[in-house]
Amino acid sequence: MAESRTDERVVVIDDDNAMRLSCRQILGRMGLAVETYSDGAQGLAGVAREKPGLVVVDLKMPGLSGLEVLCRIHEIDPSIVVVVITGYATIDTAIEAMKAGAYDFLPKPFAPDQLRVIVSRALERRRLAAESRRLEVEREMLKRRFVSFVSHQLKSPLAAIHQYLDLIDRLGDAPEVAAKRRDWIRRSLARSVEMRRLIDDWLTLARIEGDSLVGCRDSIDIAPLLARIVDGERERAALVDVTLTSTAGEGPLPVPGDASCLHVLFENLIDNAVKYNRPGGRVDVAAALENGEVVVEVRDSGEGIPAEALPLLFQEFFRARREPGGARGNGLGLAICRRIATELGGTIGAESTVGEGSLFRVRLPAATDDAVAAPVASAEEAR
Amino acid sequence: MNEQRPKILVVDDDDDFAAALGAYLGHQGYAVVGASSGREGVERARAERPDLVLMDVMMEERTAGFFAIQELRRDPLLADVPVVVVSSIYADVPGFRITPEADWLRHDAFLAKPVDFDELAACVRRLLAEHRAAAVPAAETP
Repeated sequence: MAESRTDERVVVIDDDNAMRLSCRQILGRMGLAVETYSDGAQGLAGVAREKPGLVVVDLKMPGLSGLEVLCRIHEIDPSIVVVVITGYATIDTAIEAMKAGAYDFLPKPFAPDQLRVIVSRALERRRLAAESRRLEVEREMLKRRFVSFVSHQLKSPLAAIHQYLDLIDRLGDAPEVAAKRRDWIRRSLARSVEMRRLIDDWLTLARIEGDSLVGCRDSIDIAPLLARIVDGERERAALVDVTLTSTAGEGPLPVPGDASCLHVLFENLIDNAVKYNRPGGRVDVAAALENGEVVVEVRDSGEGIPAEALPLLFQEFFRARREPGGARGNGLGLAICRRIATELGGTIGAESTVGEGSLFRVRLPAATDDAVAAPVASAEEAR
Repeated sequence: MNEQRPKILVVDDDDDFAAALGAYLGHQGYAVVGASSGREGVERARAERPDLVLMDVMMEERTAGFFAIQELRRDPLLADVPVVVVSSIYADVPGFRITPEADWLRHDAFLAKPVDFDELAACVRRLLAEHRAAAVPAAETP
Protein backbone atom coordinates (compact mmCIF):
# COMPACT_ATOMS: atom_id res chain seq x y z
CA MET A 1 0.00 0.00 0.00
CA ALA A 2 3.06 2.24 0.02
CA GLU A 3 2.87 3.42 -3.56
CA SER A 4 0.24 5.73 -4.97
CA ARG A 5 -2.89 3.92 -5.95
CA THR A 6 -3.96 4.40 -9.51
CA ASP A 7 -7.57 4.89 -8.45
CA GLU A 8 -6.63 8.12 -6.67
CA ARG A 9 -8.09 10.97 -8.70
CA VAL A 10 -6.77 14.49 -8.91
CA VAL A 11 -8.44 17.48 -10.50
CA VAL A 12 -6.35 20.47 -11.62
CA ILE A 13 -8.12 23.80 -12.19
CA ASP A 14 -5.96 26.48 -13.81
CA ASP A 15 -6.58 28.98 -16.59
CA ASP A 16 -2.97 28.64 -17.76
CA ASN A 17 -2.72 25.94 -20.41
CA ALA A 18 1.01 25.28 -19.86
CA MET A 19 0.40 24.84 -16.14
CA ARG A 20 -2.39 22.35 -16.80
CA LEU A 21 -0.19 20.35 -19.14
CA SER A 22 2.78 20.16 -16.79
CA CYS A 23 0.58 19.29 -13.79
CA ARG A 24 -1.04 16.53 -15.79
CA GLN A 25 2.36 15.19 -16.76
CA ILE A 26 3.92 15.32 -13.28
CA LEU A 27 0.89 13.92 -11.45
CA GLY A 28 0.23 11.34 -14.15
CA ARG A 29 3.72 9.96 -13.62
CA MET A 30 2.90 9.57 -9.93
CA GLY A 31 0.25 7.07 -10.94
CA LEU A 32 -2.65 9.46 -10.34
CA ALA A 33 -5.65 9.85 -12.62
CA VAL A 34 -5.63 13.53 -13.58
CA GLU A 35 -8.42 15.67 -15.03
CA THR A 36 -7.76 19.31 -15.85
CA TYR A 37 -10.15 22.23 -16.25
CA SER A 38 -9.50 25.76 -17.41
CA ASP A 39 -11.96 27.65 -15.19
CA GLY A 40 -13.71 27.44 -11.84
CA ALA A 41 -17.21 26.62 -13.03
CA GLN A 42 -16.07 23.74 -15.24
CA GLY A 43 -13.69 22.68 -12.51
CA LEU A 44 -16.46 22.43 -9.92
CA ALA A 45 -18.60 20.40 -12.31
CA GLY A 46 -15.58 18.17 -12.82
CA VAL A 47 -15.05 17.80 -9.07
CA ALA A 48 -18.68 16.82 -8.57
CA ARG A 49 -18.37 14.26 -11.37
CA GLU A 50 -14.88 12.87 -10.72
CA LYS A 51 -15.04 12.83 -6.93
CA PRO A 52 -11.31 13.34 -6.62
CA GLY A 53 -9.30 12.95 -3.44
CA LEU A 54 -7.26 16.03 -4.26
CA VAL A 55 -7.82 19.28 -6.15
CA VAL A 56 -5.05 21.61 -7.25
CA VAL A 57 -6.53 25.02 -7.98
CA ASP A 58 -5.04 28.30 -9.15
CA LEU A 59 -6.16 31.15 -6.94
CA LYS A 60 -6.10 33.79 -9.62
CA MET A 61 -8.42 32.96 -12.47
CA PRO A 62 -10.95 34.89 -14.51
CA GLY A 63 -14.52 34.13 -13.49
CA LEU A 64 -14.92 32.21 -10.27
CA SER A 65 -11.97 32.91 -7.99
CA GLY A 66 -9.86 30.09 -6.62
CA LEU A 67 -11.00 30.97 -3.10
CA GLU A 68 -14.62 30.61 -4.10
CA VAL A 69 -13.87 27.35 -5.86
CA LEU A 70 -12.14 26.12 -2.69
CA CYS A 71 -15.20 26.79 -0.56
CA ARG A 72 -17.55 25.22 -3.07
CA ILE A 73 -15.35 22.11 -3.28
CA HIS A 74 -15.72 21.62 0.44
CA GLU A 75 -19.45 22.02 0.09
CA ILE A 76 -19.35 19.10 -2.34
CA ASP A 77 -17.19 17.00 -0.01
CA PRO A 78 -15.32 18.37 2.99
CA SER A 79 -12.87 15.49 2.85
CA ILE A 80 -11.37 16.57 -0.49
CA VAL A 81 -7.88 17.95 0.06
CA VAL A 82 -7.23 21.21 -1.79
CA VAL A 83 -3.83 22.63 -2.71
CA VAL A 84 -3.79 26.17 -4.09
CA ILE A 85 -1.35 27.56 -6.62
CA THR A 86 -0.48 31.21 -6.28
CA GLY A 87 1.91 33.82 -7.60
CA TYR A 88 4.31 35.52 -5.18
CA ALA A 89 2.24 38.67 -5.34
CA THR A 90 -0.74 36.90 -3.85
CA ILE A 91 0.78 35.23 -0.80
CA ASP A 92 -1.80 37.02 1.35
CA THR A 93 -4.54 35.37 -0.65
CA ALA A 94 -2.75 32.06 -0.20
CA ILE A 95 -2.88 32.49 3.55
CA GLU A 96 -6.52 33.41 3.29
CA ALA A 97 -7.02 30.21 1.33
CA MET A 98 -5.30 28.20 4.03
CA LYS A 99 -7.64 29.76 6.56
CA ALA A 100 -10.55 28.79 4.32
CA GLY A 101 -9.46 25.18 4.49
CA ALA A 102 -6.79 24.71 1.81
CA TYR A 103 -4.24 22.12 2.83
CA ASP A 104 -1.17 23.87 1.42
CA PHE A 105 -0.12 26.27 -1.28
CA LEU A 106 2.39 26.21 -4.08
CA PRO A 107 4.02 29.52 -5.07
CA LYS A 108 4.46 30.01 -8.80
CA PRO A 109 6.74 29.09 -10.45
CA PHE A 110 7.39 25.74 -8.84
CA ALA A 111 9.64 22.77 -9.61
CA PRO A 112 8.03 19.38 -10.40
CA ASP A 113 9.49 18.01 -7.15
CA GLN A 114 7.69 20.67 -5.11
CA LEU A 115 4.37 19.66 -6.63
CA ARG A 116 5.14 15.98 -6.09
CA VAL A 117 6.04 16.46 -2.42
CA ILE A 118 2.99 18.56 -1.64
CA VAL A 119 0.64 16.26 -3.48
CA SER A 120 1.90 13.07 -1.85
CA ARG A 121 1.82 14.75 1.55
CA ALA A 122 -1.73 15.93 0.92
CA LEU A 123 -2.87 12.48 -0.16
CA GLU A 124 -1.19 10.92 2.85
CA ARG A 125 -3.00 13.36 5.09
CA ARG A 126 -6.25 12.43 3.44
CA ARG A 127 -5.60 8.78 4.21
CA LEU A 128 -4.82 9.61 7.83
CA ALA A 129 -7.91 11.77 8.07
CA ALA A 130 -9.96 8.88 6.74
CA GLU A 131 -8.56 6.62 9.43
CA SER A 132 -9.14 9.12 12.21
CA ARG A 133 -12.65 9.76 10.98
CA ARG A 134 -13.39 6.06 11.27
CA LEU A 135 -12.09 6.09 14.85
CA GLU A 136 -14.17 9.19 15.53
CA VAL A 137 -17.27 7.34 14.43
CA GLU A 138 -16.39 4.44 16.73
CA ARG A 139 -15.88 6.82 19.63
CA GLU A 140 -19.14 8.54 18.94
CA MET A 141 -20.86 5.18 18.88
CA LEU A 142 -19.42 4.32 22.26
CA LYS A 143 -20.44 7.64 23.71
CA ARG A 144 -23.99 7.22 22.59
CA ARG A 145 -23.69 3.55 23.37
CA PHE A 146 -26.64 3.08 25.56
CA VAL A 147 -29.26 4.94 23.61
CA SER A 148 -28.00 3.94 20.20
CA PHE A 149 -27.60 0.30 21.12
CA VAL A 150 -31.07 0.11 22.55
CA SER A 151 -32.51 1.80 19.52
CA HIS A 152 -30.43 -0.41 17.25
CA GLN A 153 -31.62 -3.49 19.06
CA LEU A 154 -35.20 -2.36 18.82
CA LYS A 155 -34.86 -1.49 15.18
CA SER A 156 -33.27 -4.74 14.13
CA PRO A 157 -36.27 -6.91 14.99
CA LEU A 158 -38.61 -4.19 13.74
CA ALA A 159 -36.79 -4.12 10.40
CA ALA A 160 -36.92 -7.91 10.15
CA ILE A 161 -40.66 -7.96 10.89
CA HIS A 162 -41.27 -5.16 8.41
CA GLN A 163 -39.29 -6.99 5.74
CA TYR A 164 -41.18 -10.26 6.27
CA LEU A 165 -44.59 -8.55 6.22
CA ASP A 166 -43.66 -6.65 3.09
CA LEU A 167 -42.57 -9.91 1.44
CA ILE A 168 -45.83 -11.62 2.34
CA ASP A 169 -47.76 -8.59 1.09
CA ARG A 170 -45.92 -8.40 -2.22
CA LEU A 171 -45.18 -11.98 -3.09
CA GLY A 172 -48.12 -13.60 -1.36
CA ASP A 173 -49.40 -15.34 -4.47
CA ALA A 174 -46.10 -16.62 -5.81
CA PRO A 175 -45.93 -20.42 -5.56
CA GLU A 176 -42.47 -20.53 -3.98
CA VAL A 177 -43.71 -18.19 -1.26
CA ALA A 178 -46.58 -20.33 0.02
CA ALA A 179 -44.20 -22.82 1.59
CA LYS A 180 -42.25 -20.12 3.38
CA ARG A 181 -45.06 -17.86 4.49
CA ARG A 182 -45.68 -19.76 7.71
CA ASP A 183 -42.01 -19.62 8.62
CA TRP A 184 -41.87 -15.88 7.97
CA ILE A 185 -44.90 -15.29 10.17
CA ARG A 186 -43.50 -17.49 12.92
CA ARG A 187 -40.17 -15.68 12.83
CA SER A 188 -41.88 -12.29 12.84
CA LEU A 189 -43.76 -13.28 15.98
CA ALA A 190 -40.54 -14.40 17.66
CA ARG A 191 -38.94 -11.08 16.82
CA SER A 192 -41.86 -9.13 18.23
CA VAL A 193 -41.44 -11.06 21.49
CA GLU A 194 -37.77 -10.07 21.42
CA MET A 195 -38.78 -6.42 21.10
CA ARG A 196 -41.23 -6.60 23.94
CA ARG A 197 -38.62 -8.18 26.21
CA LEU A 198 -36.10 -5.51 25.39
CA ILE A 199 -38.59 -2.77 26.17
CA ASP A 200 -39.49 -4.48 29.45
CA ASP A 201 -35.83 -4.85 30.40
CA TRP A 202 -35.07 -1.30 29.41
CA LEU A 203 -37.90 -0.01 31.57
CA THR A 204 -36.71 -2.15 34.47
CA LEU A 205 -33.22 -0.68 34.15
CA ALA A 206 -34.63 2.83 33.98
CA ARG A 207 -36.72 2.17 37.05
CA ILE A 208 -33.71 0.97 39.03
CA GLU A 209 -31.64 3.91 37.82
CA GLY A 210 -34.37 6.32 38.77
CA ASP A 211 -33.87 5.51 42.47
CA SER A 212 -37.49 4.54 42.77
CA LEU A 213 -36.39 1.57 44.83
CA VAL A 214 -34.70 3.44 47.59
CA GLY A 215 -37.92 4.72 49.02
CA CYS A 216 -39.69 1.40 49.28
CA ARG A 217 -37.59 -1.02 51.23
CA ASP A 218 -39.81 -3.52 52.84
CA SER A 219 -38.45 -6.60 54.53
CA ILE A 220 -38.88 -9.36 51.99
CA ASP A 221 -38.49 -13.00 52.86
CA ILE A 222 -36.47 -14.46 49.98
CA ALA A 223 -37.33 -18.10 50.77
CA PRO A 224 -40.96 -18.14 49.57
CA LEU A 225 -40.03 -15.76 46.75
CA LEU A 226 -37.45 -18.23 45.44
CA ALA A 227 -39.89 -21.11 45.86
CA ARG A 228 -42.45 -19.25 43.74
CA ILE A 229 -39.92 -18.54 40.99
CA VAL A 230 -38.66 -22.14 40.99
CA ASP A 231 -42.21 -23.47 40.76
CA GLY A 232 -42.92 -21.15 37.88
CA GLU A 233 -39.78 -22.15 35.99
CA ARG A 234 -39.97 -25.89 36.64
CA GLU A 235 -42.35 -26.59 33.79
CA ARG A 236 -40.28 -24.65 31.30
CA ALA A 237 -37.16 -26.46 32.50
CA ALA A 238 -38.84 -29.83 31.99
CA LEU A 239 -39.64 -28.85 28.40
CA VAL A 240 -35.92 -28.58 27.64
CA ASP A 241 -35.13 -31.64 29.79
CA VAL A 242 -33.48 -29.73 32.64
CA THR A 243 -34.08 -30.70 36.27
CA LEU A 244 -34.64 -27.71 38.55
CA THR A 245 -34.23 -28.16 42.29
CA SER A 246 -34.18 -25.76 45.19
CA THR A 247 -32.62 -26.12 48.63
CA ALA A 248 -33.61 -22.65 49.66
CA GLY A 249 -35.33 -24.08 52.71
CA GLU A 250 -38.04 -22.60 54.87
CA GLY A 251 -36.40 -19.33 55.75
CA PRO A 252 -36.97 -16.80 56.88
CA LEU A 253 -34.29 -15.08 54.76
CA PRO A 254 -35.27 -11.43 55.17
CA VAL A 255 -33.79 -8.84 52.82
CA PRO A 256 -34.65 -5.15 52.79
CA GLY A 257 -35.76 -4.49 49.24
CA ASP A 258 -38.51 -4.28 46.69
CA ALA A 259 -40.37 -7.52 46.04
CA SER A 260 -40.75 -7.04 42.29
CA CYS A 261 -37.06 -6.18 41.83
CA LEU A 262 -35.92 -9.15 43.87
CA HIS A 263 -38.23 -11.25 41.74
CA VAL A 264 -36.66 -9.88 38.53
CA LEU A 265 -33.15 -10.49 39.89
CA PHE A 266 -33.64 -14.15 40.79
CA GLU A 267 -35.94 -14.96 37.92
CA ASN A 268 -33.32 -13.68 35.47
CA LEU A 269 -30.63 -15.83 37.06
CA ILE A 270 -32.73 -18.99 37.20
CA ASP A 271 -34.11 -18.39 33.72
CA ASN A 272 -30.56 -18.04 32.34
CA ALA A 273 -29.46 -21.20 34.14
CA VAL A 274 -32.27 -23.13 32.45
CA LYS A 275 -31.77 -21.49 29.07
CA TYR A 276 -28.00 -21.91 28.82
CA ASN A 277 -28.09 -25.54 29.86
CA ARG A 278 -28.04 -28.87 28.06
CA PRO A 279 -30.62 -31.65 27.75
CA GLY A 280 -30.38 -33.83 30.83
CA GLY A 281 -28.79 -30.97 32.75
CA ARG A 282 -29.54 -29.60 36.21
CA VAL A 283 -30.14 -26.27 37.89
CA ASP A 284 -29.75 -26.06 41.68
CA VAL A 285 -30.89 -23.06 43.64
CA ALA A 286 -29.58 -22.67 47.18
CA ALA A 287 -30.04 -19.90 49.73
CA ALA A 288 -28.83 -19.41 53.28
CA LEU A 289 -28.19 -16.81 55.93
CA GLU A 290 -24.43 -16.35 56.45
CA ASN A 291 -22.83 -13.75 58.75
CA GLY A 292 -25.58 -11.21 58.37
CA GLU A 293 -25.92 -11.77 54.63
CA VAL A 294 -28.46 -13.67 52.60
CA VAL A 295 -26.51 -15.68 50.03
CA VAL A 296 -28.31 -17.10 47.03
CA GLU A 297 -26.54 -19.46 44.64
CA VAL A 298 -27.79 -20.59 41.24
CA ARG A 299 -25.71 -23.42 39.82
CA ASP A 300 -26.18 -24.83 36.32
CA SER A 301 -24.64 -27.68 34.35
CA GLY A 302 -24.47 -25.74 31.08
CA GLU A 303 -21.59 -25.18 28.71
CA GLY A 304 -19.94 -22.67 31.02
CA ILE A 305 -18.50 -19.23 30.33
CA PRO A 306 -14.93 -18.67 29.09
CA ALA A 307 -12.67 -17.05 31.70
CA GLU A 308 -12.03 -14.00 29.51
CA ALA A 309 -15.77 -13.30 29.30
CA LEU A 310 -16.39 -13.42 33.06
CA PRO A 311 -15.26 -9.86 33.87
CA LEU A 312 -17.57 -8.48 31.17
CA LEU A 313 -20.55 -10.60 32.03
CA PHE A 314 -22.52 -7.99 33.94
CA GLN A 315 -21.91 -5.18 31.47
CA GLU A 316 -24.79 -3.83 29.48
CA PHE A 317 -25.14 -5.42 26.05
CA PHE A 318 -22.39 -7.93 26.62
CA ARG A 319 -23.39 -11.33 25.32
CA ALA A 320 -21.05 -14.19 26.10
CA ARG A 321 -23.24 -16.87 24.68
CA ARG A 322 -25.77 -17.52 22.02
CA GLU A 323 -28.98 -19.01 23.19
CA PRO A 324 -29.55 -22.54 21.97
CA GLY A 325 -31.72 -22.40 18.87
CA GLY A 326 -30.04 -19.27 17.57
CA ALA A 327 -32.22 -16.83 19.49
CA ARG A 328 -30.27 -14.05 21.11
CA GLY A 329 -30.44 -12.46 24.51
CA ASN A 330 -30.46 -8.69 24.49
CA GLY A 331 -27.46 -8.38 26.79
CA LEU A 332 -29.40 -6.55 29.49
CA GLY A 333 -30.49 -9.39 31.77
CA LEU A 334 -27.35 -9.72 33.86
CA ALA A 335 -26.78 -5.96 33.82
CA ILE A 336 -30.19 -5.63 35.42
CA CYS A 337 -29.28 -8.26 38.02
CA ARG A 338 -26.14 -6.40 38.95
CA ARG A 339 -27.94 -3.06 39.21
CA ILE A 340 -30.56 -4.52 41.49
CA ALA A 341 -28.02 -6.29 43.70
CA THR A 342 -25.88 -3.15 43.95
CA GLU A 343 -28.87 -0.94 44.59
CA LEU A 344 -29.83 -3.15 47.52
CA GLY A 345 -26.35 -2.90 48.97
CA GLY A 346 -25.28 -6.34 47.82
CA THR A 347 -23.01 -7.97 45.25
CA ILE A 348 -23.30 -10.47 42.43
CA GLY A 349 -20.56 -12.68 41.02
CA ALA A 350 -20.03 -15.64 38.76
CA GLU A 351 -17.70 -18.59 38.62
CA SER A 352 -17.56 -20.93 35.68
CA THR A 353 -15.77 -23.89 34.21
CA VAL A 354 -16.17 -24.37 30.48
CA GLY A 355 -17.82 -27.69 29.81
CA GLU A 356 -19.05 -28.11 33.39
CA GLY A 357 -21.29 -25.19 34.17
CA SER A 358 -21.56 -21.88 36.00
CA LEU A 359 -22.37 -20.65 39.47
CA PHE A 360 -23.97 -17.25 40.09
CA ARG A 361 -23.86 -15.99 43.65
CA VAL A 362 -25.82 -13.04 45.05
CA ARG A 363 -25.05 -11.63 48.49
CA LEU A 364 -27.53 -9.21 50.01
CA PRO A 365 -27.40 -7.65 53.47
CA ALA A 366 -29.94 -9.42 55.64
CA ALA A 367 -32.68 -7.30 57.14
CA THR A 368 -32.59 -6.78 60.86
CA ASP A 369 -35.67 -5.41 62.62
CA ASP A 370 -34.07 -1.95 62.79
CA ALA A 371 -32.88 -1.95 59.19
CA VAL A 372 -36.34 -2.77 58.00
CA ALA A 373 -38.02 -0.10 60.02
CA ALA A 374 -35.56 2.72 59.40
CA PRO A 375 -35.72 3.11 55.58
CA VAL A 376 -39.49 2.95 55.61
CA ALA A 377 -39.64 5.65 58.25
CA SER A 378 -37.20 7.89 56.41
CA ALA A 379 -39.09 7.36 53.22
CA GLU A 380 -42.21 8.55 54.96
CA GLU A 381 -40.41 11.61 56.20
CA ALA A 382 -39.07 12.35 52.73
CA ARG A 383 -42.60 12.63 51.38
CA MET B 1 -19.48 -10.98 -14.22
CA ASN B 2 -22.11 -13.66 -14.35
CA GLU B 3 -23.96 -13.57 -17.62
CA GLN B 4 -27.28 -15.08 -16.53
CA ARG B 5 -27.97 -14.54 -12.83
CA PRO B 6 -26.02 -11.80 -11.13
CA LYS B 7 -24.81 -12.89 -7.72
CA ILE B 8 -25.53 -10.72 -4.68
CA LEU B 9 -23.82 -11.09 -1.33
CA VAL B 10 -25.95 -10.03 1.65
CA VAL B 11 -23.86 -9.31 4.76
CA ASP B 12 -26.01 -8.83 7.86
CA ASP B 13 -25.85 -10.28 11.36
CA ASP B 14 -29.63 -10.33 11.59
CA ASP B 15 -30.57 -13.71 10.11
CA ASP B 16 -34.19 -12.74 9.58
CA PHE B 17 -33.41 -9.48 7.84
CA ALA B 18 -30.91 -11.27 5.59
CA ALA B 19 -33.40 -14.07 4.90
CA ALA B 20 -36.13 -11.61 3.91
CA LEU B 21 -33.83 -9.65 1.61
CA GLY B 22 -32.52 -12.90 0.17
CA ALA B 23 -36.04 -14.16 -0.51
CA TYR B 24 -36.96 -10.95 -2.28
CA LEU B 25 -33.81 -10.81 -4.38
CA GLY B 26 -34.15 -14.50 -5.18
CA HIS B 27 -37.67 -13.82 -6.38
CA GLN B 28 -36.26 -11.04 -8.56
CA GLY B 29 -34.04 -13.61 -10.24
CA TYR B 30 -30.73 -13.01 -8.51
CA ALA B 31 -28.46 -15.63 -7.03
CA VAL B 32 -28.06 -14.76 -3.36
CA VAL B 33 -25.32 -15.69 -0.91
CA GLY B 34 -25.17 -14.56 2.70
CA ALA B 35 -22.70 -13.82 5.46
CA SER B 36 -23.45 -12.92 9.05
CA SER B 37 -20.37 -10.93 10.06
CA GLY B 38 -17.96 -8.47 8.49
CA ARG B 39 -15.16 -10.98 8.48
CA GLU B 40 -17.30 -13.72 6.97
CA GLY B 41 -18.54 -11.18 4.44
CA VAL B 42 -15.01 -10.50 3.20
CA GLU B 43 -14.24 -14.22 3.08
CA ARG B 44 -17.38 -15.01 1.13
CA ALA B 45 -16.79 -12.10 -1.22
CA ARG B 46 -13.34 -13.53 -2.01
CA ALA B 47 -14.72 -17.03 -2.52
CA GLU B 48 -17.92 -16.14 -4.36
CA ARG B 49 -16.86 -13.06 -6.35
CA PRO B 50 -20.33 -11.48 -6.15
CA ASP B 51 -21.52 -8.87 -8.62
CA LEU B 52 -22.83 -6.69 -5.82
CA VAL B 53 -22.59 -6.54 -2.04
CA LEU B 54 -25.29 -5.40 0.40
CA MET B 55 -23.50 -4.56 3.64
CA ASP B 56 -24.83 -3.77 7.07
CA VAL B 57 -22.36 -1.64 9.02
CA MET B 58 -23.43 -2.11 12.62
CA MET B 59 -22.87 -5.75 13.32
CA GLU B 60 -21.83 -7.71 16.37
CA GLU B 61 -18.31 -6.42 16.35
CA ARG B 62 -19.68 -2.87 16.44
CA THR B 63 -18.84 -1.08 13.19
CA ALA B 64 -17.56 -4.27 11.56
CA GLY B 65 -19.13 -3.32 8.24
CA PHE B 66 -16.83 -0.31 7.89
CA PHE B 67 -13.80 -2.55 8.17
CA ALA B 68 -15.29 -5.04 5.77
CA ILE B 69 -15.89 -2.36 3.15
CA GLN B 70 -12.35 -1.01 3.54
CA GLU B 71 -11.07 -4.56 3.22
CA LEU B 72 -13.05 -5.16 0.02
CA ARG B 73 -11.75 -1.93 -1.47
CA ARG B 74 -8.18 -2.97 -0.79
CA ASP B 75 -8.63 -6.26 -2.65
CA PRO B 76 -7.81 -5.71 -6.34
CA LEU B 77 -10.32 -8.37 -7.38
CA LEU B 78 -13.13 -6.83 -5.36
CA ALA B 79 -12.28 -3.14 -5.29
CA ASP B 80 -14.77 -2.31 -8.03
CA VAL B 81 -17.68 -4.45 -6.90
CA PRO B 82 -20.62 -2.15 -6.12
CA VAL B 83 -21.27 -1.97 -2.39
CA VAL B 84 -24.61 -0.82 -0.98
CA VAL B 85 -24.61 0.12 2.68
CA VAL B 86 -27.85 -1.12 4.26
CA SER B 87 -28.19 0.26 7.74
CA SER B 88 -30.22 2.12 10.30
CA ILE B 89 -27.10 3.98 11.37
CA TYR B 90 -28.38 7.42 10.32
CA ALA B 91 -31.26 7.12 12.73
CA ASP B 92 -29.15 5.47 15.45
CA VAL B 93 -26.40 8.05 15.45
CA PRO B 94 -27.99 11.47 15.03
CA GLY B 95 -26.05 13.84 12.85
CA PHE B 96 -23.90 11.11 11.38
CA ARG B 97 -23.62 11.13 7.61
CA ILE B 98 -21.29 9.38 5.24
CA THR B 99 -20.92 10.53 1.69
CA PRO B 100 -20.74 7.65 -0.76
CA GLU B 101 -17.52 8.99 -2.22
CA ALA B 102 -15.78 9.37 1.14
CA ASP B 103 -12.64 7.43 0.46
CA TRP B 104 -12.50 5.91 3.92
CA LEU B 105 -15.77 4.23 3.17
CA ARG B 106 -16.29 4.26 -0.56
CA HIS B 107 -19.68 2.78 -1.29
CA ASP B 108 -22.09 3.13 -4.17
CA ALA B 109 -25.40 3.63 -2.45
CA PHE B 110 -27.05 3.81 0.94
CA LEU B 111 -30.34 2.20 1.85
CA ALA B 112 -32.01 2.75 5.20
CA LYS B 113 -33.46 -0.12 7.20
CA PRO B 114 -36.15 -1.25 6.85
CA VAL B 115 -35.52 -1.41 3.13
CA ASP B 116 -38.11 -0.39 0.59
CA PHE B 117 -38.07 -3.33 -1.81
CA ASP B 118 -38.80 -1.16 -4.87
CA GLU B 119 -35.92 1.09 -3.95
CA LEU B 120 -33.70 -1.94 -3.40
CA ALA B 121 -34.63 -3.45 -6.76
CA ALA B 122 -34.04 -0.17 -8.60
CA CYS B 123 -30.74 0.41 -6.82
CA VAL B 124 -29.45 -3.09 -7.55
CA ARG B 125 -30.53 -2.89 -11.19
CA ARG B 126 -28.88 0.48 -11.67
CA LEU B 127 -25.59 -0.45 -10.02
CA LEU B 128 -25.32 -3.75 -11.85
CA ALA B 129 -25.96 -1.99 -15.17
CA GLU B 130 -23.40 0.72 -14.39
CA HIS B 131 -20.88 -1.83 -13.28
CA ARG B 132 -21.40 -3.91 -16.39
CA ALA B 133 -20.99 -0.83 -18.58
CA ALA B 134 -17.80 0.14 -16.76
CA ALA B 135 -16.40 -3.36 -17.13
CA VAL B 136 -16.65 -3.13 -20.92
CA PRO B 137 -13.61 -1.13 -22.02
CA ALA B 138 -14.89 2.20 -23.24
CA ALA B 139 -13.71 3.28 -26.68
CA GLU B 140 -13.08 6.82 -25.58
CA THR B 141 -13.29 8.61 -22.26
CA PRO B 142 -13.64 12.36 -22.48
